[in-house]
Amino acid sequence: MRPGSGATTTLLLAAALALAACDWMPGRPREQDRPRNPREITDFATLYANNCAGCHGSEGELGPAREFASPLFQAFLPDPALRNVIREGVPGTGMPAFAKAAGGSLMDPQVEALVSGMRRRWARPSRVDASVLPPYSEADAVAAGYALGDPGRGREAFQRACAGCHGADGNGGEEGGSVVAAAFLGLVSDQMLRTVVVCGRPDLGMPDWREPPPELRLSVQEVSDVVSWLASHRPPDLEPARGASE
Amino acid sequence: MDLRGIGEWFESRLQLGSLYRTTAGHPIPRNSASWWYVFGSATLVCFVLQIVTGICLALVYVPSADEAWTSLEFLNYQQSLGWFLRAVHFWGSNVMVALMTVHMIQVFLMGAHKYPRELTWVIGCVLFIATIGMAFTGQVMRFDQDAYWGLGIGVAIMARIPIVGTALVDLILAGPIIGAETLSRFFTLHVFVVPGLIIAFVTVHLRLVLKRGINEFPVRGKGVVPEEYDEEYAALIEKEGIPFFPDGVDKDIVFSAAVIVAILFCAAIFGPAGPNGEPDPTLIDTVPRPDFYFLSLFAVLALLPPQIETFVLVYVMPVAILLLFLIPFIAGKGAKHPADRPIAVLGVVLICTTISTLAWLGISSPWSPHMDAWSGEPTPVAYVEERSPLELQGAVLIQARQCRNCHALGGRGGQRGPALDDVATRLTADQLTRQILQGGGNMPAYGKHLSPDETTALVAFLRTMRPIGVPGAR
Ligand code: HEC
Ligand code: HEC
Ligand code: HEC
Repeated sequence: MRPGSGATTTLLLAAALALAACDWMPGRPREQDRPRNPREITDFATLYANNCAGCHGSEGELGPAREFASPLFQAFLPDPALRNVIREGVPGTGMPAFAKAAGGSLMDPQVEALVSGMRRRWARPSRVDASVLPPYSEADAVAAGYALGDPGRGREAFQRACAGCHGADGNGGEEGGSVVAAAFLGLVSDQMLRTVVVCGRPDLGMPDWREPPPELRLSVQEVSDVVSWLASHRPPDLEPARGASE
Repeated sequence: MDLRGIGEWFESRLQLGSLYRTTAGHPIPRNSASWWYVFGSATLVCFVLQIVTGICLALVYVPSADEAWTSLEFLNYQQSLGWFLRAVHFWGSNVMVALMTVHMIQVFLMGAHKYPRELTWVIGCVLFIATIGMAFTGQVMRFDQDAYWGLGIGVAIMARIPIVGTALVDLILAGPIIGAETLSRFFTLHVFVVPGLIIAFVTVHLRLVLKRGINEFPVRGKGVVPEEYDEEYAALIEKEGIPFFPDGVDKDIVFSAAVIVAILFCAAIFGPAGPNGEPDPTLIDTVPRPDFYFLSLFAVLALLPPQIETFVLVYVMPVAILLLFLIPFIAGKGAKHPADRPIAVLGVVLICTTISTLAWLGISSPWSPHMDAWSGEPTPVAYVEERSPLELQGAVLIQARQCRNCHALGGRGGQRGPALDDVATRLTADQLTRQILQGGGNMPAYGKHLSPDETTALVAFLRTMRPIGVPGAR
């Protein structure tokens, strides 16, 4: 053996090893960092964080818009309505349409992923007695044999169940702000009001319809009545924002 | 025939000995074999590295709009060490641009552009532009979101050139828009045309270096007098010249080796760039960012008001480039040592600070809106609690009307406009209404796009934006 050939072999070996080691180097792109087309994401957590968290809160509560984390709300809102709201939004309100077909950015499988993901994350059917739940929309209530909402009866029910917090005429009280301000009513749908009356805003301290003591509690009919009384405060020239189920 | 005989047989035909004496063996001033003079050779070494890695990449890369992206994905994730090859090519290009810039600054500071090396400088400027062209065309060949938008911006600049603008765009894109043939055009430029130009001009550049000699290390108080210079230089070489190879080359070799190691290191640790998202003109909510050499240009584009932008791009930039070429004709003689040329040094410092500040702005790019803040950045919980139903609707609208894309709340969101966390301490309800309806100062006017109720709700919410106990502006 020539002197020095040992060193050459060592060097060559080292080089080969270094090259092989490269495949474990931190610079190597990992499969999970691979860029994905935003339209192919169907993972609920990502979809929710990118599209809904802004208004509905990162944990489905304490956002400026509807709380999702309450099991009562999850039981109250039927799948078709949920799907429809995501796809089409609620025209005239801050809830945008998300379906690609309606000008949004989500494909159908993504909408489905949101629907099933929301249920998985927040629905707790065992904790809600669905048999005493008011129908989702006023139209559903009418179909189930209840009368249309009546503002007169609604005013009385409001005095009983809500005035303690929102003031006798709804203009705001100790615990809650005005719910009859024209600008507020101009920005929300009747369905949103109905959902609030039934499910409350537990995250903000607004009780749901079952919480008050029995003598103050609303009946299923009175839910529609209170909403119609609230809606009657919209200035006459203002078209009500269309509800989600219409 | 023994070995020596074979050697002589070849030598008598190829005559490499004389080639050596006139090239690598040419004498250089002893004091020029300095650490200051290593950047040019290192740039050349980078170029060779780029050619080698580039050829390997070209074996896999498919220059067609539908397949380019996929072939890079293949290199990244399937081909063994393919990612490393891409990474070396990417970091090599970054380092080459950086070294070339340092080389240029060093040449200028040492007065090496002065008589008799004016042409060397001019050719160097051509090489500078060609290299930037390589960087740009290379970035486009990545053909991902960033590339697509980078090209879009580049083309938009070009389209503004009077008279020939549209024709130029057509020439480069093979049509008015970025289409199927655009990429093959860029491939041709990146792989044949520009490298060919670089090789040709490097040859001339090197010939000039050989013929006119390497600049002697400048001496304080001693300037160039063209009539006397040639004689002085010849005398210097006579007295203390050493052959570039093998005597003067050691520092170049050490430095170039260090550069290669640094490139390999960066490639292994930081990996290749992209390709990020597939190019898709209908995905508008991306925030493209160019490679670093274009960051400052990107910043200029974003910062300038549109009226001045065209003027700067179409007139100021070409004039600046022309000035770069003309430097040796403007200041071709006189003092060489930087200490004798305060204005030149100041100019370099000024230009470097401007460009790096702009590049830094380009990195943080506070002006580009955060396109998905409105649906993805939650309203801070503290701004939701204790708010009335109307104020809550205002908070919804801050999101729904995408104010959040330009305005941060709780530190999250766009930075284009001021953060709104304590806006109520600055503005009254009337002032808020006016700002929202009439916009102003880079904020769009929302007058036509908001209903009176929406404005009322927004103002009601914004009026709550002040620290507890601090009164609102009156
Ligand atoms: C820009 C703010 C905003 C974003 C983003 C947003 N929403 Fe909404 N959402 C609202 C508002 C405001 C309402 C109430 C609309 C109304 O008045 O009926 C609402 C209502 C809803 C309702 C109906 C609740 C009811 O009362 O029946 C559902 C369900 C809903 N959103 C789901 C989603 C989902 C899922 C996403 C994400 C894909 C999302 N929202 C994103 C603002 C938003
Ligand atoms: C225990 C006190 C309390 C009672 C009782 C109460 N609310 Fe509320 N309500 C709140 C609070 C707290 C909020 C959160 C907003 C605020 O602070 O004003 C709220 C919010 C609302 C909102 C706006 C919800 C939103 O998402 O923007 C409506 C509408 C509303 N209440 C209607 C009613 C009606 C109708 C009743 C009677 C059925 C009622 N409230 C009873 C405390 C109450
Ligand atoms: C395209 C980006 C952009 C959008 C979108 C935007 N703004 Fe602005 N906004 C700005 C800029 C930039 C300023 C600073 C204006 C100036 O310098 O006079 C500003 C200023 C303001 C101010 C004054 C802040 C202060 O401290 O002086 C308010 C209030 C404001 N914007 C509210 C809104 C609201 C509400 C919306 C949504 C309806 C909105 N902005 C949407 C860019 C934007």
